[in-house]
Amino acid sequence: MSDFEFTQAPIEAAALALPLARDAAGGFTSFEGRVRNHHDGRPVTGLEYEAFEALGIAEGERIVAEALRRHGALAGRCVHRLGRLGIGEIAVWIGVAAPHRAEAFAACREIIDEVKHRVPIWKKEHYAQGASGWVNCEHPGPALSAPSFDYSRQRALPEVGAEGQVRLGSARVLVVGAGGLGCAVLTSLAGAGVGEITIVDHDTVQPSNLHRQPLYTASDAGRPKAEAAAARLLDYNPTLSIRAITERLEERNATALLAEADVVVDCTDNFASKFLVNDAAVRAGVPAVLASVYQYEGQLQVVRPERGGSCLRCQWPEATRDGLVGNCEQAGVLGPVPAILGQLQAMEVLKIILGLPGQLQDELLLVDLLACGQRRLAAPRNPGCRDGCVRIESAAVQFAPDDLDVELPLTAAAAAGYRVVDIREPMECRLEPLPLSGQQSLPLARLLEGGLRVEPGRRYLLVCAHGVRSRAAAEFLRARGHANVWSLRGGLAAQDG
Amino acid sequence: MPTLRLHYYALLREQAGRSSESVDTTAATPAELYTELAARHGFRLPASQLKVAVNAAFSDWDRTLADGDEVVFIPPVAGG
Repeated sequence: MSDFEFTQAPIEAAALALPLARDAAGGFTSFEGRVRNHHDGRPVTGLEYEAFEALGIAEGERIVAEALRRHGALAGRCVHRLGRLGIGEIAVWIGVAAPHRAEAFAACREIIDEVKHRVPIWKKEHYAQGASGWVNCEHPGPALSAPSFDYSRQRALPEVGAEGQVRLGSARVLVVGAGGLGCAVLTSLAGAGVGEITIVDHDTVQPSNLHRQPLYTASDAGRPKAEAAAARLLDYNPTLSIRAITERLEERNATALLAEADVVVDCTDNFASKFLVNDAAVRAGVPAVLASVYQYEGQLQVVRPERGGSCLRCQWPEATRDGLVGNCEQAGVLGPVPAILGQLQAMEVLKIILGLPGQLQDELLLVDLLACGQRRLAAPRNPGCRDGCVRIESAAVQFAPDDLDVELPLTAAAAAGYRVVDIREPMECRLEPLPLSGQQSLPLARLLEGGLRVEPGRRYLLVCAHGVRSRAAAEFLRARGHANVWSLRGGLAAQDG
Repeated sequence: MPTLRLHYYALLREQAGRSSESVDTTAATPAELYTELAARHGFRLPASQLKVAVNAAFSDWDRTLADGDEVVFIPPVAGG
């Protein structure tokens, strides 16, 4: 089966779609171009198509292959009818199977636009008045013309120029996390014409994200972020290849993803992911641009393993536990903060790709947007880090006490003799009380101060909203010799009802 | 008594209620200084979870502090 064919016989859409089935395809989309009954205000009774077949097939196959590759679709096919067709008959059929609907829609759209533009097909219209006439195959109107994006304003910079634009176009950047930082990074990289962008994010769009994540609209709520971001960015700059991966970055996929990247940008919101990105980048020898925000502040660090630079673990050898310091959800954040830090990340990525001066290395940049201040701290390589601590610590992050979490209904836990300790803040407890009585309430900060009196022989179950803080707290207590402390997996959010 | 210029970030800024201050102290090292400040401002993070920088470079917790030093306490942050 060729991916592009001409046919004299009527098109049977269902039969054409069958060979495109793929187990990995979560999205299949098809387009049917049909004969309509009017053209330029004149009633039409039918059409006749002719093509330069040999050239048409070669060009059509190229178009399908290009669109599949550009959008990361799995399979696609286009069939164009030739000969005489009546009103309502299918003139052209396109089907695309892709991992997600965004890629399927984008590739399908590109194939029809390009076929109309590039494949030598002529159309003769038969009008109701009895006359007929060959019309220009298909008029590529403005909306159908090949996508274009004008980089002249950045190309005008002496440090960029035509050569820099080519470098950007052939650069591959992996962006981990499509939240507040990610939205800013992605927008600027797509605008600059970074040719291949891969977005990794397993989360879905929440209404509470919108104030700082302007790649999404209110109607995207519930949609996978990577997918929504890819679709939006392809609208913005259709000349790019943008891949959406709706999975969490983990040890198992990090190596493969990093192998295909020239630069990785960490836009995640938790320490475990940041260390994972750092370690994978160090192992792969790929530059990593990391940032974090907190309320009105941010931190930026560029890890340059390929130049022997320092890494995240050189400064934070003990992998910091999530839950000990607040994230955007718990501590709050003002929209421009991740936007500004994300733009700083994008700037560092462009500096690296273009070889511009002033690249951050072996430094930590602290930005305080209330004080309008920034501070550059020397953060040199720690001789004890790298081959030693990266390997050992990453193992520690992965395999840290695996019996820390328990998964059971809270009422069952209480019945089984666990002493339930609610470590949420008082306001959270008031808004959503635990579905049982007799629990102890002890906010995390007080627990860390030593506020939990652990009675010997008694089992403790720590509870928070999502199981992140409680896990950190349980680990904290275990490290202090209290073996009978567990964390409720997934927190209150994971309890049924 | 040596006077030090201190800067706080993130959680520490919140708990101290300010982003910088000057203090006169007898604390000889960043570790002693942090213990003193933790008592005064109610810092809850253990020093092991923090980094300290003296005069714009990361520092050990047991280096000797001198009059006029600029000391920055930095908690890790992960928001994105």
